[in-house]
Amino acid sequence: MSTDSNAPARTALDPDSRRWVEQLHPAHPRHAEAVARLRDLLVRVSIHELSRRRARLGSIAGPEFDDLAHQAADDALLSILGKLDEFRGLSRFTTWAYKFAVFEVSGKVARHAWRRQPPSEAELNWERLPDALAPRPSDRLEQREQLQALAAAIGALTERQRKVFVAIALNEVSIDVLALELASNRNAIYKNLFDARRELRASLAEAGHPVTAQEAGTR
Amino acid sequence: MSDRPNLDELLRAQPGDAGCTAGEDIFDAYVELELAGEDPAQAFPGTAIHLRSCPGCAADHEGLLEAARRFGDVALD
Repeated sequence: MSTDSNAPARTALDPDSRRWVEQLHPAHPRHAEAVARLRDLLVRVSIHELSRRRARLGSIAGPEFDDLAHQAADDALLSILGKLDEFRGLSRFTTWAYKFAVFEVSGKVARHAWRRQPPSEAELNWERLPDALAPRPSDRLEQREQLQALAAAIGALTERQRKVFVAIALNEVSIDVLALELASNRNAIYKNLFDARRELRASLAEAGHPVTAQEAGTR
Repeated sequence: MSDRPNLDELLRAQPGDAGCTAGEDIFDAYVELELAGEDPAQAFPGTAIHLRSCPGCAADHEGLLEAARRFGDVALD
C-alpha cells in the first residue's frame, strides 16, 4: 500500500477559497467573523453526518446529540485553523474543511459505539464459518470443498489476522470499533485485514479452490 | 435461508490499494472530481481501489460527498 502517485501537488486557489484562507488568518480584520461562519457550517455538517450514522448511536438524541455535533465541529475547527497553511487548493476550501468534520464525527461515533457495545468474544474469535457461509446440502461438491478449504485457511492465519478478518469480514464489526478494542488505528487494522484476505485467496488457490479462474495456480 | 456472501467480495484484496492514510489526505480532492463529473480513479487510482475494500473509509467518503454536495457553495463576503 502506498500514496496515490497521480495526485497533483498544488493548484491555484479559486476566489472563494482564497477569501476563506485570507479571512481565517489571525491577522485579518474579519478573522472572528470568518471563524464564526466556518464554525456554523461545521456544526451543520456534523449534525448531518451524525444523522447519517444515527443507527450506530443507540438512544442518543436531543441535547446529547447536539452536544456531540458541537464537540465534533469545535475539534474540526481547531484542526482546520492549525492546518490552514496545508490547504493546497485541490478542492474548494469548504470541501477540505468539511473533511475534518466528517473525520471527527466518524471517530466520535466509533468511540460511542465501542463504549456502548464493544465487540463480543463470539464476534472476535474463530470457531466456524457463520451460517451464511456454511456448506449446505444443496451445494455442489466443489463449492462445499471450497468452503471447507476457506475454514481451514482461516484457522491457519496469524492470530491477529484471524481476529481482524473474523470480526470485520464475517461478523461485520465496524473497523473503527475494532481498532479501539485492539488499541490500534484504522490503517493498521485495515492492513491486517488486507493481508488476511490476500493470504486466504492464496491458500484457496493452493488448495485447488481458487476464488477466480485467474487465481488458479498462482502460488 | 440468507444469501451467501460473494467470496470474491469477502476476500477483496486488490493490488495497488493505497490504504487509509493516503486517502485521508486527498478525500476532498477526490470528492471534488466526482462532483465535477470526472473519474477520480484517474487521479487517485489507489484510493479508488481502497474505497471498494475499506468500510471505514467508504463511510467517510460517502459522508464528505454528501456534505460537499449539500453545503458546498458557501462563500464569504
